[in-house]
Amino acid sequence: MSCTVVICCGSGGVGKTTISAALAVKWALAGKRVAVLTIDPARRLADSLSIGELSNAARAVPIEGAVDGGALDAMMLDAKATFDELVERLAPSPAIAARILGNRYYRVASERLGGSHEYMAMERLLRLAESGVYDVVVLDTPPTRHALDFLKAPDRMAGLMDQGVLRWLVMPARKGGWRALELGSEAITRVLKRLLGQGTIGEIAEFFDAFVSVGDGMRERSMAVHALLRSPATHFLLVTTPAPTARSEALHFLRLLVEKEMPFGGFLINRFRTPPQHALSPDDIPAALSDTARDALLRAHRIQSSQAAAHQRSVDDLLAAGPPAAGRWLIPDQGKDIHDLQGLAALGTTLPSPDALR
Amino acid sequence: MSLLDKRILMVTGKGGVGKTTVSVAIALAAAARGKRVIIAETSGAEVVPPLFDSLRGGYEPHPVSAGVSTLSITPEAALEDYVVQQIRFRSLFKLVFRNRIVKPFTDAVPGLHDAVQLGKVFDLERASRPGGQPLWDLIVVDAPATGHGLTMLGSAQTMMDLTRAGPMFEGVRQVQEVMADPVRSALVLVSLPESMPTSETLDLYRRLDDQQRAQVGAVVLNSLYPRPLPQEDWDAARPLLADAPPAVAEAAAMVDRWQGRVQQQADARAKLAGIPCPLLELRHRFDGSPDAAALLEMGEALLAQEEA
Repeated sequence: MSCTVVICCGSGGVGKTTISAALAVKWALAGKRVAVLTIDPARRLADSLSIGELSNAARAVPIEGAVDGGALDAMMLDAKATFDELVERLAPSPAIAARILGNRYYRVASERLGGSHEYMAMERLLRLAESGVYDVVVLDTPPTRHALDFLKAPDRMAGLMDQGVLRWLVMPARKGGWRALELGSEAITRVLKRLLGQGTIGEIAEFFDAFVSVGDGMRERSMAVHALLRSPATHFLLVTTPAPTARSEALHFLRLLVEKEMPFGGFLINRFRTPPQHALSPDDIPAALSDTARDALLRAHRIQSSQAAAHQRSVDDLLAAGPPAAGRWLIPDQGKDIHDLQGLAALGTTLPSPDALR
Repeated sequence: MSLLDKRILMVTGKGGVGKTTVSVAIALAAAARGKRVIIAETSGAEVVPPLFDSLRGGYEPHPVSAGVSTLSITPEAALEDYVVQQIRFRSLFKLVFRNRIVKPFTDAVPGLHDAVQLGKVFDLERASRPGGQPLWDLIVVDAPATGHGLTMLGSAQTMMDLTRAGPMFEGVRQVQEVMADPVRSALVLVSLPESMPTSETLDLYRRLDDQQRAQVGAVVLNSLYPRPLPQEDWDAARPLLADAPPAVAEAAAMVDRWQGRVQQQADARAKLAGIPCPLLELRHRFDGSPDAAALLEMGEALLAQEEA
């Protein structure tokens, strides 16, 4: 049975984490078995789900009143633990796994590797989708500066695991010399040595020498992720707000999705200010009210009207620039923080139902 | 010691809190006081020039306003700059770093991209005019958001751990020396007066090491709403609105939410006051995105609070 994958993307501060949690709660209440994965180290998902602490292991979130079978697990990505586990699983022997895990370059790289969070989020997503335990997996994406980094991560890892690259990198460890088979190799050798020093290059080469044995497995996983991201069961939801900067980043991300042939699931437009339902005339206000209270009422009404008009223009621009039949969900500004399950469930009324994603 | 006495200000905070706004505001106010200032973007988005109706972007510093220049430091441009400085030949850089084999490898070296970006900031700090005075009195870095910001701050140390010796080690050691110097470099943490940004700011502060904590020069609390009316006036007015027509009831609910937000702001302020450095505040602007004049006014407001 296939698992639906929902990936919430968007620029920082638009409310991805809260919306991911609200989607997960909504679908669990509707009877789905849902996992929500955040990579956000700031523990904000735990705050919203009111479960105190999140960890790399799945943690059940107590959902009351769910349709039969509905359940929710939440977890926070630990990139290093996921990387270690992957190496242990793919290494041909425990001794080789230990050699990789103990390498100094690996230790620095797995914790601080540029893009390792992005890549490991994808690896974890794949594991959850394959597990057969869940109907839906929701991924709250990392706050990346370059959306591209995130989408490219699997391909970049596959590039690094390319046999040609690995073979080239392990040459010094195997033949006692840093030689490449390609044109210009001498220059490359000279430049890298001059920049990094011979010692560092040796250690990195040692790492790759051990790593070459898991290279095939890593490349397979990367290809599986690549396929998962383009599967019809996957939906990229672009979370944005009516703010001009968030909107232009959303459109930028959308172009990347199209370019990379990844399935766009629709816009979730958060913190949308709805216009007042009634016109307010000063004559409506009880005469007994103080001047300050009267002014406050008129001012609040005026501000909300102008903000709502500005937001509507912004949303119209966004939708006009997006694909014609794009799904769109407007999420009214809650006017307060959401930090419990009831708040998340309430937010869910404005979000797509499990069947709304095509 | 004031923010303007520093050479480098690293402005960071959760996504969407207004890091760029605060960076530009401080830069404009510093320039108004006679400083030569440069704003360094690190995201590649080049959002600063359009604030000054300029279409120019890129890695070369270019003026956008009296006393203020800007540049966009992308990892790619900074890496090329660094390597060419080391090996002298641009053609050799292209041969090596655009190579099919080397490219995925350099992409994977932990901290390299962040470290070369910091390296460029370091170069700006050291650049001098013919008379020997600094070319830039103040470098305001619009740094990446919290998690990535921390990685960038630690990247010189990461590269030192990784290389341990050699030319690159020596280079990043010098960068680290300037970045970790409390006299020359300070951190500015930007937050919003809402509970999640506030807890993220506190979390960021907790994750800094002692050295970095001592470098936090200011916390900026952005986008504060004014109180619509004193709470006791509102409490007195509320019962009179019990049977009000729907239009008034609706407006009353808006005022309730507004008062609630102001209360939440007080909570945020109290929590952030726990960070031992000046807490500077900026009011919410109901009139949309600030223009250059408004940004200068915001910067002046920040500096005035810091001096008070």
